[in-house]
Amino acid sequence: MHGKCGLFFTSYRSEAQFFASRFQKICLVLFLLAVAFGPLGLRSYHLSVLTFINISVIGAVSLNLLTGYCGQISLGHGAFVGVGAYATAWFARHGVPFFPALLGGGAVSAMVGMVFGLPSLRLKGIYLAIATLAAQLILEYVFLHWDSATGGLHGVPVASPEIFGFAFDNDRRMFYLTFVFAAIVTYAASNLMRSKSGRAFVAIRDFYLSAEIVGVNLFAYKLQAFGVSSFMAGLAGGLWAFYTMFITPEPFGIGLSISYLSMIIIGGLGSIIGAIFGAVFLTVLPEVLNIIAQWGGSYFPNISSSFLAMKGGIFGLVLVLFLIFEPEGLAHRWRLAKAYWKLYPFAH
Amino acid sequence: MRKKLFVIVALCLLALAAASQTWAGDEIPIGVISDLSGATSSVGKPYADGIMACINYLNSKGGVAGKKIKPYQVDYAYDVQKALTAYKQFKDEGIVALQGWGTGDTEALTGFVGKDKIPTLSASYSAHLTDPKKAPYNFFIAADYSTQLRAALKYLKSTWKESRAPRVAFVYPDHPYGLAPIQAGKDYAKEIGFEIVGEENVDLKATDATTQLLRLQKQNPDFIWLGGTTPSASVVIKDAQKLKMNATFFVNIWGADENTFKLAGPAAKGHLSLQAAAIYQDDTPGSKVIKELTKDQPQMTHYIRGFVSVLVMAEAIRLAAAKGEITGPAIKDALESLRDFDPMGLTPPISFFPDDHRPNMAVKLYKLGEDKMELVGVETLERTQAWLGK
Repeated sequence: MHGKCGLFFTSYRSEAQFFASRFQKICLVLFLLAVAFGPLGLRSYHLSVLTFINISVIGAVSLNLLTGYCGQISLGHGAFVGVGAYATAWFARHGVPFFPALLGGGAVSAMVGMVFGLPSLRLKGIYLAIATLAAQLILEYVFLHWDSATGGLHGVPVASPEIFGFAFDNDRRMFYLTFVFAAIVTYAASNLMRSKSGRAFVAIRDFYLSAEIVGVNLFAYKLQAFGVSSFMAGLAGGLWAFYTMFITPEPFGIGLSISYLSMIIIGGLGSIIGAIFGAVFLTVLPEVLNIIAQWGGSYFPNISSSFLAMKGGIFGLVLVLFLIFEPEGLAHRWRLAKAYWKLYPFAH
Repeated sequence: MRKKLFVIVALCLLALAAASQTWAGDEIPIGVISDLSGATSSVGKPYADGIMACINYLNSKGGVAGKKIKPYQVDYAYDVQKALTAYKQFKDEGIVALQGWGTGDTEALTGFVGKDKIPTLSASYSAHLTDPKKAPYNFFIAADYSTQLRAALKYLKSTWKESRAPRVAFVYPDHPYGLAPIQAGKDYAKEIGFEIVGEENVDLKATDATTQLLRLQKQNPDFIWLGGTTPSASVVIKDAQKLKMNATFFVNIWGADENTFKLAGPAAKGHLSLQAAAIYQDDTPGSKVIKELTKDQPQMTHYIRGFVSVLVMAEAIRLAAAKGEITGPAIKDALESLRDFDPMGLTPPISFFPDDHRPNMAVKLYKLGEDKMELVGVETLERTQAWLGK
């Protein structure tokens, strides 16, 4: 059998497909099979980590759309996730079924995101970062004090989701559910980046003046980026609410915003796969450190608590080393690895 | 040959499986969620030390109901998501009870522990966790924040000598933990004849509170409720001394402890700290045990509360074992059957009821001195039904 020595497209249609080569398609099928059957053998701890990865992937991909592609730095992403969580919980409590509640949560989050995206017309870079930081603080205040909608400091309980009478009430089912959403969001974001809007986002990021001169409506597209990004963040929040079954203002603080930013920086700005890598990396790293700490603690029981506490420092150290040695993110490393194996064994 | 090898390997695996089975049966797995490196680690560390010390102590005495307690500890660094995955990990290990920590993790886990029927003893003393209708599997061993505040107000009123109404102000962080008792405190203060003269927010990370205190100074309060953590409360106390305010602060359970003397210095003198447990220097049967365990190295009062939290849990496990089996629901029932359980004198007696998870209605008031705290009174309120969960 003779394969082609490259990818040659004979139609626009074939050029536009997501997975161009047979190898990619095989990999995709294998991955989906692993996702479909792998969880059957996993325990709920691993499933919960995987579920949080799914949720983080949605959040990171959405932030990468805004920050990585459109160049609008947001320090309020955690709060937009929170808006989605609270709005979804509110809809769910008022008897709205799962899908409309989740989409409604996303829509509310999109509206809030667009309102706080308004300053982006005038503000750029670090100034916009501060404006979105203000959004974060304002929203945190609202979560805590709008008692009738958010339950204030007491939080709100959320029932497990149910779709046509099928309850997603354990970790395995929630994993599948969140995975489907993570896949849809990733697919949608990848597609969006190949559309007119996506190209406009990149043009704005690269140089706003050139973009405007070639006819990109800066304001409309910036708002669109805020809207789409917040919508997806809202979905992440809604899934978080459904998964944890109880939401309080605390998880949606500035820490969450920063951790989403770290995900896309570590993964690679302006890359969908980078956002996914970053989300996986930052969710798994603390767990791995924890396992090491527990393992170390079981051998040295007297200093087990120092072992446990050490992982915060190690976490920071890993991040710093990462930024020094791989400033372009995991996505870059991934491309290098792919290039290496493409020519294997003749790579030099 | 190969067959033989196969048989040997299979036998080894079986033996291992059997061993791990019986091994699990001899131990009582419990989860411990601690903050050793996060935002609240200054008090989370001593609390966690107390928990682990008590587990080791009980195990050295032969365990509970003949079985050793097997703790699974995770440092979640005050990260709610980390607490959730830690909880899942514990669940896989088959824990029958959980020792939780702060507001964030305890409330995020309320839904899970209710569904999985894992009784949880936390150090988040929010009143709404005491209502079994909302949080059926949540317990704690200190009077809730609202009860502490009410009891302190009652104590202050009872020691008030002047004919005019005492003036009280509230200083707290705008944070779920700081806000929790405020409404209850204001209502009760009005009810028993305080005049409320002011209300200010001081952030948990504040390094200066002069602006807020200057405003309060004009109102000239006699007493100021101070919510927050030891660092933020110390800032307020120091700034008040700089401004020469003569109000007495009464500080909530996480706001004034043995570290206050280091952080606030002589400014702390004369103010009141509300506590639920004994302090290290006290003379109770439990204190003797703790002094022996810690070789006379003084520990914070949070350590003692962690210790008591495990004592109470162990008592419930013992009762559950005596009745039959050690499961989550059985431990919950046993906790709810506790009546005036005395944890070696370290806290006021503890009772839980099926429809009321308030451990007691008592607060211990300590006066801060030069470098140590001195017990000035224990105020106990009626177990009023209307206050449940508020």
